[in-house]
Amino acid sequence: MAGNGKKQGLARYWPRFLLVIPFLLVTWVPFYNRIEPELGGIPFFYWYQLGAIIIGAAVSLTVYWLEVWVTRTTGRGEADLDSSGTPGDIL
Amino acid sequence: MSLNLPATGVFVALFLFVTWVGFTAARWRKADLNVLNEWGLGGRRFGTVVTWFLLGGDLYTAYTFIAVPALVYGAGAMGFFAVPYTILIYPILYLIFPRLWVIAHKRGHVTAADFVRERFDSRLLALAVALTGIVATMPYIALQLVGMEVVIGALGFPAGGFIGHLPLIIAFVILAAFTYTSGLRAPALIAVVKDTLIFVTIFAAIVIIPAKLGGYGAIFASIPHEKLLLESPSGGNLGSYSAYATLALGSALALFLYPHSMTGILSASSGKVIRRNAAALSAYSFVLGLIALLGYMAIAAGVGKNPAHAAGFAQYGANFAVPALLLDMFPAWFVGVAFAAIAIGALVPAAIMSIACANLFTRNLYKEFLRPDCTDAEEARMAKIVSLVVKVGAVVFIVAIPHSYAIHLQLLGGIWIIQLLPPILLGLFTQRFNGRALLVGWAAGTAVGTYMAAARGFVSSIYPLDIFGLTLPGYAALYAVLVNFIVVVALTPVLDRRGTA
Repeated sequence: MAGNGKKQGLARYWPRFLLVIPFLLVTWVPFYNRIEPELGGIPFFYWYQLGAIIIGAAVSLTVYWLEVWVTRTTGRGEADLDSSGTPGDIL
Repeated sequence: MSLNLPATGVFVALFLFVTWVGFTAARWRKADLNVLNEWGLGGRRFGTVVTWFLLGGDLYTAYTFIAVPALVYGAGAMGFFAVPYTILIYPILYLIFPRLWVIAHKRGHVTAADFVRERFDSRLLALAVALTGIVATMPYIALQLVGMEVVIGALGFPAGGFIGHLPLIIAFVILAAFTYTSGLRAPALIAVVKDTLIFVTIFAAIVIIPAKLGGYGAIFASIPHEKLLLESPSGGNLGSYSAYATLALGSALALFLYPHSMTGILSASSGKVIRRNAAALSAYSFVLGLIALLGYMAIAAGVGKNPAHAAGFAQYGANFAVPALLLDMFPAWFVGVAFAAIAIGALVPAAIMSIACANLFTRNLYKEFLRPDCTDAEEARMAKIVSLVVKVGAVVFIVAIPHSYAIHLQLLGGIWIIQLLPPILLGLFTQRFNGRALLVGWAAGTAVGTYMAAARGFVSSIYPLDIFGLTLPGYAALYAVLVNFIVVVALTPVLDRRGTA
């Protein structure tokens, strides 16, 4: 039963793996700690991180839409996205 | 400095308007405010848009608007850590907190400690969670006053003495009064005004100021080169790199554990509202990134060399950089708008923080240990009174004690609040961990984190960790919560066995 629950979890929650993208964008500091290439006189360090905010927002939005779509196609209510569906799950 | 009359006029007018909004809020979505769920959580009925304003107003505080550019002004690139920090909070919000909302809604939890109490059936663990929340939030409220004080000083009010503190005291009396009568509805409505003013101010700033200074290229060209980038690692020391990344990650993990964030989240009307906001709230992050750049604009504009601002810098230090920049760049009436945005930006989080502390005290100390059979009305009345006491405490703190103490305590608060991550995160997603192990882990993490901050004389939260001959300077909160997790994982099997034997 537990294995079955996990498979269902993967089928429903796979979009959430995309949420690792913002972490990859900003935790490796040497990647963006540089001046070049500049954008309109703004060093890379600054415009890259400002851009990462927009990408982060786009990722959250994409995950949200994908989850709405997944719940519709699997015929589940959106409301129980936040519980794992096993009895006794919510305390 | 003499009083800037046009700016003060606009400032006072906006402040009066917000006062009216605060009291009117009691009649908005009318309900019985003598129930804690209504007074302290707005009845959990805020939709996507209201939640967006409320959380935006709650998380991006006046102190942030003053302190982040001040850090960039003084320390350069390091101050920009606020940007990756606010990027990382949203995946965390998306993954963890809608689930907490669902459980809290079903079980009628008002605070995180309510949840921990029921999940682990442990009064002591809940007490630890509640006390940590209150102690970490108090200095944070005091710091909102610092943000407000800087702009009031920049308007030209005399600094120091009782007269100097009077505008601040009046502002907080007004704040206390409308929070008492309207509860969470007041900051929710005022946040709409605050966020609008902030957006207007910052968009004016990023267009007008660079135009006056010769464009972004000229601004960055005038910044000393060593400030523009983080210092590269040298020898066996990762230096600024590990400090920058751990500060961003640790601060992001800590943010939503603060009681005021929790209150904002639990007042939403569904988990869906929270997930939508995990994308939409990024708009404020972008604004914060632009506000951080105001620190560089202040350097490029040479505000530090302007004799008119010498008194301000002497009084408030680098925190005066942004007010000085706005004074130099904008017409007086618009300075009033911008300063009002910052001052009102202090009211919203201060109101929510005091409500959150009041909820914790009433639910998890008063009702749990002193009056288990108190009525709903008594519970709500107690919370209202505590919200007043909390604000009086914050004002006394700022008026009577040097600001550096509030800043040190807030730094410690971040280290303490992150210790709530194991009970809340593990409690939400598994049944596997032992309540007593979590309590020991909390104590260990708190002790280690406090030791690390003490080792740095409480002036920095960056602790140089030595492992295998490598020095990793990093955010003490993150190191301490790792200790916490390790203790929990190690002790759970031991304590489980003893429990069943």
